[in-house]
Amino acid sequence: MLLLQIESIADTLNSSEWVFPIAECFHIAAFAWSIGLIAAVDYKLLGFGIQHSKPSEVLHDTAPWTLLGLAVVLLSGPLLFLSDTRMYLHNPSFVFKMYALAAAIIFNYTIHRKVAQSDTASQGVRVVVAIVSLALWISVVFGGLFIAFA
Amino acid sequence: MLLSFAQWIQFTTFFTDLRGSANVYPIIMSLHMVGIALFGGMILMTDLRLLGWALTKRSIADVVNQFRVPKRWGLLLTATCGILMAGSKAEEYYYNAFFRTKLILFAVVIITELVFYRSVYANPAALDRAPSVPANAKLAAALSVLLWTSIACCGRGIGYIEPPLDKIHAQIHVNHAALLASRDPYSLKGQDHADVATTN
Repeated sequence: MLLLQIESIADTLNSSEWVFPIAECFHIAAFAWSIGLIAAVDYKLLGFGIQHSKPSEVLHDTAPWTLLGLAVVLLSGPLLFLSDTRMYLHNPSFVFKMYALAAAIIFNYTIHRKVAQSDTASQGVRVVVAIVSLALWISVVFGGLFIAFA
Repeated sequence: MLLSFAQWIQFTTFFTDLRGSANVYPIIMSLHMVGIALFGGMILMTDLRLLGWALTKRSIADVVNQFRVPKRWGLLLTATCGILMAGSKAEEYYYNAFFRTKLILFAVVIITELVFYRSVYANPAALDRAPSVPANAKLAAALSVLLWTSIACCGRGIGYIEPPLDKIHAQIHVNHAALLASRDPYSLKGQDHADVATTN
């Protein structure tokens, strides 16, 4: 029953040749937005680029927009996925991307957020957290692109 | 002239090797995407500030200056990877309507940067002193959002145009089968496009 429903969603998505590319454009623009803003916080944690403000301020300024970008990513992504669920589920890059994405989101809203909010965290902790954050999000991007090459 | 340049550059040893490498090409493509992420968000943030929609408590000078250096690094990464990809398939890209559109949009971006550089980007502190954000700064920001979004979409569009195989002289490597499959949402269902890639 569920499979039938997924099939009909896929048919709807595939009925126009424009749905997939347009969803992809939204996906790309939105991930650039959200990951770029998370990177802005990471740069601050690493101690370069952004002057005149504390990590907590950069986080506070960017967080709502990061969330908006992530929302668009998480709405357009499933549309792409539903166009051909079987292909994606058998694609090792896609599976890797989903694990990396889950890890990146959880890390972002727990440890990353805590350290960025705390203006008293030591520089060592900040650097480690920023590097882990950048590495996780870059893994997500790589995983996404390699879906086409897997 | 442009076509013969495209043919020459793609057959240089460097770009021939790059095209033939199954792993390097997708890695460069991924780094291109990472670069987009690293500066796309910051461009948008700067533009939203100029439009007065975000970070309004922070001065324009702070926002513009803060993102300037990271944006340049992101752009450098993206542009380097983009040139590497375009160079290795220059002839194919020459025929690609989305790639041509993208180049035109780059020219427009450069022109708008030059037009607005003095009044907007070079002196953001002056914008803070104005009672409200001047109209030309808002125009610059709106154009920036529109142009960069269009450039990203054109970039994705490049992959959706099948290369005119009868005109392309470069050997398309095996991995191109997967790339072709990824271009066309319908063909994702089967790998039956593999024969397309190997016919060349």
